Amino acid sequence: MIEDFISRFETRIRLNRNLIVRKQNRYFLLNEKLRRSISKEFFCAGTYLGKTKRGKFFPSFNLLRMIADKKANKTIVDKKTEWLFSCGRDIFKQGIIRVMGSKRKGDYTLVLNQHGECLGFGKITRHIDKAKDGAVIKNVSDIGDFLRREKQ
Amino acid sequence: MSGKEFFVTRYEKLGWKYEDVEPKQAIRINAINARKTDVIRRLQLSGVELEKISFLENGYWVRKSGFSVGATSEYLLGLYSIQETAAQIPAMLFTKLNDKVVLDACAAPGGKTVQLADLMRNTGAIAALDVRRPRLIALSNHLERCRVKNTIVYQLDARQASRLKTRFDRVLLDVPCSGNFVTDKDWFKKRTIKDVEKNAKLQRQILTEAAKVLKDDGEIIYATCSLEPEENELNVDWAIRTLNLQVEEISCYGGKALTSIFRKQLDDSIRHCRSIWPGLTQGIFFCKLKKSG
Repeated sequence: MIEDFISRFETRIRLNRNLIVRKQNRYFLLNEKLRRSISKEFFCAGTYLGKTKRGKFFPSFNLLRMIADKKANKTIVDKKTEWLFSCGRDIFKQGIIRVMGSKRKGDYTLVLNQHGECLGFGKITRHIDKAKDGAVIKNVSDIGDFLRREKQ
Repeated sequence: MSGKEFFVTRYEKLGWKYEDVEPKQAIRINAINARKTDVIRRLQLSGVELEKISFLENGYWVRKSGFSVGATSEYLLGLYSIQETAAQIPAMLFTKLNDKVVLDACAAPGGKTVQLADLMRNTGAIAALDVRRPRLIALSNHLERCRVKNTIVYQLDARQASRLKTRFDRVLLDVPCSGNFVTDKDWFKKRTIKDVEKNAKLQRQILTEAAKVLKDDGEIIYATCSLEPEENELNVDWAIRTLNLQVEEISCYGGKALTSIFRKQLDDSIRHCRSIWPGLTQGIFFCKLKKSG
């Protein structure tokens, strides 16, 4: 399921299955040292990868960063769009600085700021080259989620 | 035995004259995630004025900001944490943290856990404990935001740490305490000496468990944000006499702790503990303990 999700960004990451542990619906990637010392009553551990809910996978920001380190579908946005996206907004064509990988409607793309840091990901709603203006990437998940979680 | 007058009189007997204080907000740059100069420059460009805190490696005071520094991209990307000035000191007192097995016995909400992971450069392993589930959720969000990879979080009472069947190189005891009036404006209305005694007892139980799970050459950092000697000097004096622990010399910001409390003479090594009264920072007490012999 995790690898299927990663492939939607047109890339692959080899995850060592022996180092992945599951706690209910959440998945974690450990290092060897953690693997040796972990007891089964843990709450969370190592690198949180994401969770499943009703058969769908919801990635963590750690996993998105891991994908962003690879050659994958990425969209770099300007400073203003960086903040709007982090507030849950969709991305307009005017805010895009550069696209790497797919520009096709329906594909997933990571959203990065000008420093190359991953802000989340979205789904391309209109071919980025063909659209003249307006929203072209629908926000699926963004780092503003950390603030929204605090408020819950 | 409660109320502002009671406590203020106690503080005077301990050598500190009460004053209202409002410490400046502080941040700590997560050095593993970003270069300090880059974070400072980016925040400056956004209109945040920072001032280096001379006694902290990665700590900065927020001198001026037109918005919350807890709502910037840099914060959400884990490049820095908001962490009270004095609270940044205890984790820095451990020696050689890389590749060590560390216990953070009372970890939530995770400011010091993230700092430990940063100091360890995500090597080794941290076991982070806390009892209450909502606090564990806040802790796990904090770890994810700051890209911590070397920590296992358990819903476990610090007094049951030996259930993990691990012996630790380093143990951070940022113990539950009575707090102080700087972080809680109703503190004087709420607190009584009975609370202080109850917390002191809990802290002794945690210290006892920490001594059990500590390796023979390991280090404990004991810290409270309480101003009450029962939770500080008197507890450390008890630990020296009862748990075969000794206080190590430390070199850091803060005044020497008292070795005589309300006419009771304590072990002379308690002078190596540090005590900071509210002012530039909130109040805090801390020390480094090792097994004797």
